[in-house]
Amino acid sequence: MSGTVNIRGLPVGARVVLANGAEAEIVSNPADGVWLFARYLTAEDPSLVGEEEMIFAQDVIEVRT
Amino acid sequence: MPMNGTHGYRPGLVDLGSGQISREIFVNEDIYAQEQERVFARSWLFVGHESQIPNPGDFFTSRMGEESVILCRDRASKVHVFLNSCRHRGMKVCRYDEGNTTVFTCPYHGWSFGTDGALAGVPFFREAYRSALDKAKWGLIEVPGLCVYKGTVWANWDASAPSFDEYLGEFRRFLDLILDGWDGREGQAELLGGVQKWVIPCNWKFPAENFSGDTYHNISHRSVDLVGAGPSGQSRRDYSELNAARKLHVAIPDRGHQTITYMLPKDYEPRPAYQNSPEVAEYFRHCEEERRKRPGANSRMIGAPGEIFPNTALLPRQPRTLAVWHPVNAHTTEVWRFYFVDRDAPKAVKNFLRDYYIRYSGPAGMTEQDDMENWNYAHAASRGTIARRYPYTYEMGMGHAVENYEWDGLRMPGRVVDLTKAQASEEPMRNLYRRWAEFMEADNWDQLMTWRRQAQAQAAQ
Repeated sequence: MSGTVNIRGLPVGARVVLANGAEAEIVSNPADGVWLFARYLTAEDPSLVGEEEMIFAQDVIEVRT
Repeated sequence: MPMNGTHGYRPGLVDLGSGQISREIFVNEDIYAQEQERVFARSWLFVGHESQIPNPGDFFTSRMGEESVILCRDRASKVHVFLNSCRHRGMKVCRYDEGNTTVFTCPYHGWSFGTDGALAGVPFFREAYRSALDKAKWGLIEVPGLCVYKGTVWANWDASAPSFDEYLGEFRRFLDLILDGWDGREGQAELLGGVQKWVIPCNWKFPAENFSGDTYHNISHRSVDLVGAGPSGQSRRDYSELNAARKLHVAIPDRGHQTITYMLPKDYEPRPAYQNSPEVAEYFRHCEEERRKRPGANSRMIGAPGEIFPNTALLPRQPRTLAVWHPVNAHTTEVWRFYFVDRDAPKAVKNFLRDYYIRYSGPAGMTEQDDMENWNYAHAASRGTIARRYPYTYEMGMGHAVENYEWDGLRMPGRVVDLTKAQASEEPMRNLYRRWAEFMEADNWDQLMTWRRQAQAQAAQ
């Protein structure tokens, strides 16, 4: 089983962990398998917390259940 | 006998003095390559209809010349046309025919663009680009010229081109015959179903010439007439009113647009049509009655095949369609045919027309199959070394077009040949190729806007 996360079907509200250790909540998913629109819940740079940003699929390493 | 030219376009290939046109313009690959720059990159081209993209995020992947473009409506409902090519390495950012999306994402490296064309997502923007890439400079390439006319969307790559309205000139009334409702109300057309697309082995100018108004080839549709594919099971169309009309070729010389059209007498009463279905017959009877109550020249005109330069064909009446002859290479054309109905028409009418339209037109349509046979074999038989030495003749009706044509109180624009007795002329084809040659020779739109020079000269006198 591959460890790669398939982001294509992730629902709005799902939480993902990024390669840099940050955690973000999905606010919309264009379902292209490449990008998510998400809001930072935690981040190394505190100014990012609460910000919305496009998250690249290769940066997503885990889905919080 | 002169040998074939080995180079591209040169003056004299279109010789309107003698009415002869070289086969080179149809089969020469250098000329085809020049056309992409000189004709298709400077002309207004039909890309789709607003009814294909009613909601924010809706898109339809279309074409302009050889190139793929995206017609889309952004989140603020603004209509755009973009080149379908990623700014990073050129991959298509959209490979669907149509749909709804929030972003167009390139599958190659992952660049992502909003429906307004702005570059939104760049993978490893902070890490690899060190946040230094100016995203504002690298959005999708948008056409500088865009016009939504009665729901149809037209685009032009040349920012110096005149407006679409000026480009159409007095030909607009013929386009209106498709886009206005059958009852004469403005802009009532909507697209019926999907777009039929198919590839034919001929140069794009064969169908463009045919739809410019070739009434001479009716013999090749004889079998369709005999079968009775028309709405009432007779002939090809329900056109009995044509017996009372004047049949005309109308050519707008400084624009390159031309058509067949029919003018009805002033007090003409509509005749029954669509007799195989009482509901459909009643709908059209009512519409015809309403149309004749409305002021304006179009209430007395019946549309027929025509061509907006360079590659958009009209068929306003039966069936009611627009076709685009997309160039693929010198020897291949991809045809896209769009079908229209009145948006307020009853469902039964739309269903009836759908059946009739596809029986008549498109890759499986009986009449269009006849046409394709002619274009495809004419092209193939014109490619050979010997065949290319011999020009085609376009002499029919030379010297018989008139200006300021008027009949029963109704004036027609442009140069007109009355076909009521003559049956056919080649005035529309000469008009098409005159304009085509102007495009091939002119370096810019200042030279192509001949009507402005005439107006300035008249003002100076």
